[in-house]
Amino acid sequence: MTTTTFFLFLIPVLAIILLAVNLILSPHNPYQEKDSAFECGFHSFLGQNRTQFSISFFIFALLFLLFDLEILLVYPYVVSAYTNGIYGLVIMLVFFLVLTLGFAFELGKNALKIESRQGYNFNYKSWSGYSLIYN
Amino acid sequence: MIYLISVLEGLLVIVPALLSVAFVTIAERKTMASMQRRLGPNVVGYYGLLQAFADALKLLLKEYVAPTQANIILFFLGPIITLIFSLLGYLTVPFGSGLFISDYSLGLLYMLAVSSLATYGILLAGWSANSKYAFLGSLRSTAQLISYELILSSVILLVLLLTGSLNVITIVESQRAVNFLFPLFPLFLVFFIGSIAETNRAPFDLAEAESELVSGFMTEHSASIFVFFFLAEYASIVLICVLNSILFLGGYLSIIPLDLILNVLNLFFDVNNTILYDIFVHISSSPLNLALKTAFLIFVFIWVRASFPRIRFDQLMSVCWTVLLPIVIAYVVLMPCIVYGLGIIPINISLL
Repeated sequence: MTTTTFFLFLIPVLAIILLAVNLILSPHNPYQEKDSAFECGFHSFLGQNRTQFSISFFIFALLFLLFDLEILLVYPYVVSAYTNGIYGLVIMLVFFLVLTLGFAFELGKNALKIESRQGYNFNYKSWSGYSLIYN
Repeated sequence: MIYLISVLEGLLVIVPALLSVAFVTIAERKTMASMQRRLGPNVVGYYGLLQAFADALKLLLKEYVAPTQANIILFFLGPIITLIFSLLGYLTVPFGSGLFISDYSLGLLYMLAVSSLATYGILLAGWSANSKYAFLGSLRSTAQLISYELILSSVILLVLLLTGSLNVITIVESQRAVNFLFPLFPLFLVFFIGSIAETNRAPFDLAEAESELVSGFMTEHSASIFVFFFLAEYASIVLICVLNSILFLGGYLSIIPLDLILNVLNLFFDVNNTILYDIFVHISSSPLNLALKTAFLIFVFIWVRASFPRIRFDQLMSVCWTVLLPIVIAYVVLMPCIVYGLGIIPINISLL
């Protein structure tokens, strides 16, 4: 067993030991009020969670997936840039051009904004000219 | 015997890591206190140094509350996953020259993968608690973590362009000429902002904005599973500061330009065979350098927390997607062209 393997085993074991210490040593006397969902000032009730949430979170997750995949696809180019030469560089730049066009499209579609009812917005439009980003 | 050495090596990394987590918490409370002209914890132990251990012991002996509406297995699994994956990142950290557990050739990719898996723990914990505060907190936290992780991985991509290797030790050693802080200073700023956001720290701690979401995704968690989140948060702060110093500040390489001093001294005296030379060689790659750099970065984390007000969540996301990401993408297009044009593309020939 190498040190690496041991390390990979050690940490879960550590977590389980800490959990076991807590479960064994601590008192445990639950009652209904204690075990119900947290609410401030009045009784909590079920059915107000795991329902709909803002679509922005889903859009961010979707965009993250695409972008991270694209960044990770460039990693192999970067570590072998010397072998790839100018051909690899051009292919990488074309790839990134397509990515940037897609990104500009997303910005223009306002996909990267979360609606806020508050007055001051970080993207406050202070420039009245034509803009791809702020519209 | 060989097993014993493995066990000792593993413990030699993980015990100081946990101790440093404990002392970072106490350092944070003390620093925040002196920045706000308070005393901070000063009762337990000398100068309040044992406060963190007292807190941990207290939390380990507290009653655990398992909410009836929660999915119990996922509820306990979430914090465990977060803790495991934030501690697993220490595997490939080179603490000094020759001081590492694993000299893994894909070390940086491993660190990225492990740190992104920790997001699952937060997602699971928030969803399984079946409480609206935990659910909203975990949604926010997940969106924030994945967005800023994109920035971190793009900046790492650019560092790799100058090293040509995913091996962490190669990255450190290729900074012997100059720390990447100097050629890549704007990227260091972006990376540092990204790492503050990635560790859910103020001013980006929207996941546990106390005024609106009670405690974010850990609202329902108590006792040891809360300790897990706490440990994981601070362990990832320490780890990301280590990563910052490895990528930009030269890791375990010396802070002082010892080669220069040695050369200047050599003009006047013959120091090459004296004890001074040995001392210089020892200092030049001692773990103390990494420790000092990391400690300074952690201090900056606390400083930032004490200085800046929390920003709103939609501002946080638009900073990430419409300010930081375009900057980084522009760099990703620019840097390979510069590196190619100057003909300085690195090549790492394996010595084996």
